[in-house]
Amino acid sequence: MAKDDNSVRIFQGLLILGNVVIGMCGIALTAECIFFVSDPHGLYPLLEAAENDDIYAAAWIGIFVGFALLSLSVLGIIGVIKSNRTLLMVYIILMLITFAFEMASCITAATHRDFLTPNLFLKQMLERYEKQDTDNNNDKLMSEGVTKTWNNLMLQNHCCGVHGPSDWQQYGSAFRSTHSDADYPWPRQCCVLDARESPINLDGCKLGVPGYYNSNGCYDAISGPMNRQAWGVAWFGFAILCWTFLVLLGTMFYWSRIEY
Amino acid sequence: VSYTPTLTQRPLAGRLTASTFVLEQPRCVFEAQGDAPMIWLVVALDGGRWRTGASATGRAVPRGPLLTHRPAATGQFDPNTEPETPPLAFQTFPNNTAYATLGTSLSNYPCPPPTGDITVLRVGSETTCSRDPNRPSCNGPLPGPGPYRVKFVAWNSSGLQAETLWSEPITLLKAQAPDNLPVTGSGRSTGMIVLTSILSILFAVLLACLVALLVTCSDSWGSSSFFSTKADAVSVRRYNTHHVYDQPAARL
Repeated sequence: MAKDDNSVRIFQGLLILGNVVIGMCGIALTAECIFFVSDPHGLYPLLEAAENDDIYAAAWIGIFVGFALLSLSVLGIIGVIKSNRTLLMVYIILMLITFAFEMASCITAATHRDFLTPNLFLKQMLERYEKQDTDNNNDKLMSEGVTKTWNNLMLQNHCCGVHGPSDWQQYGSAFRSTHSDADYPWPRQCCVLDARESPINLDGCKLGVPGYYNSNGCYDAISGPMNRQAWGVAWFGFAILCWTFLVLLGTMFYWSRIEY
Repeated sequence: VSYTPTLTQRPLAGRLTASTFVLEQPRCVFEAQGDAPMIWLVVALDGGRWRTGASATGRAVPRGPLLTHRPAATGQFDPNTEPETPPLAFQTFPNNTAYATLGTSLSNYPCPPPTGDITVLRVGSETTCSRDPNRPSCNGPLPGPGPYRVKFVAWNSSGLQAETLWSEPITLLKAQAPDNLPVTGSGRSTGMIVLTSILSILFAVLLACLVALLVTCSDSWGSSSFFSTKADAVSVRRYNTHHVYDQPAARL
């Protein structure tokens, strides 16, 4: 009858709407994860050297999950319109697999974000920045990556060390073994530099006169983008999964009611 | 002169490092007597008891065996030793008692200091001459964390003119090894726990529903008989291009 007809139609419409939202979220997830993987702040070498780059793995999974969500949502829309049991069962099973992958990505991003503490970066900076006597090729590559990243960080964000220039004084480092304390209490990049990248007042920088050196630490410049990446992947994925959960429940219910 | 050299009061980040320290300049401390004297800084290792230096008139202090059992370089220092002579050379410090450096004319310490001048002396800033025996007055980096004591002496062509008191002991920074830094995480954050648990529950619910669905519907999969043991009167029509009316059998 018309009433049943309408309620069925409404339900179908809801499912189709749900799938459309999933498809769009899939595109958004792919775009967001591609942005993160492209590493606009150049912080990946730090994580690679710390062997803790799983938030990037989570972003990679997010890219593929986004594509999968897009294609499966199209499949779902077709299945709902045709009320085809086979199509919908395939849809449900593939969606569950995608759900599992996305769940893994969210949990990985959230968990590994907790490992990124200031001490992790401090220890890595002290051990690898300007490290000259490297053990093997891998060590050399990682140390060069860390050195280049820190130089960029200090130049662009006008900062020094993780907590401040005192890091270089408080702890021994690979830098200290090749650069004497009297000449280089902290690296030259901690000084305020002019357009030609030389310190505007080298003695003032070595003395630590305010205005000639960078006194704040770089931890905010590191943790800000990484937090945004980790929480962006984790919480957006969580939101998508909650919505997908509802759509899948509805689809399963719909599937159970299809008659042959 | 009764002046005690002190570390600079300014908030400089490099006030004390592992091999340098920054002193206040001795402005308005010495009076110009006769020809312009040279002001030298004497740095000595501090250790144990020390004698309160020579009197201001420059009487020679006998350099004899000390009264204490610990070597006190500040007590051993003879102010009548002329700077830039081997006993006061930087290169042999700390094997000898002290060294003299940063020699400059009194006119470089104008009194009163013009406003805006940064009146500091960085001890330990010259790294190029620390091994050069031709530069005994090298202001080289200090070899260890100290503690050190410093004093200023004024010399002119006729000998020692004046000296200040010994400063308080200055201990330099000692760097810790980075291996001891604890890098273990700060534990799980609440957000991550919430996220993991909710997602796990959702996934488990979905799997359970799927299993239930397959188990209860497996008998009717692909068969022509319809499934309507529940009291639900709504049934889903297959959408065909042309209308089909409801199956009246579902109503019965």
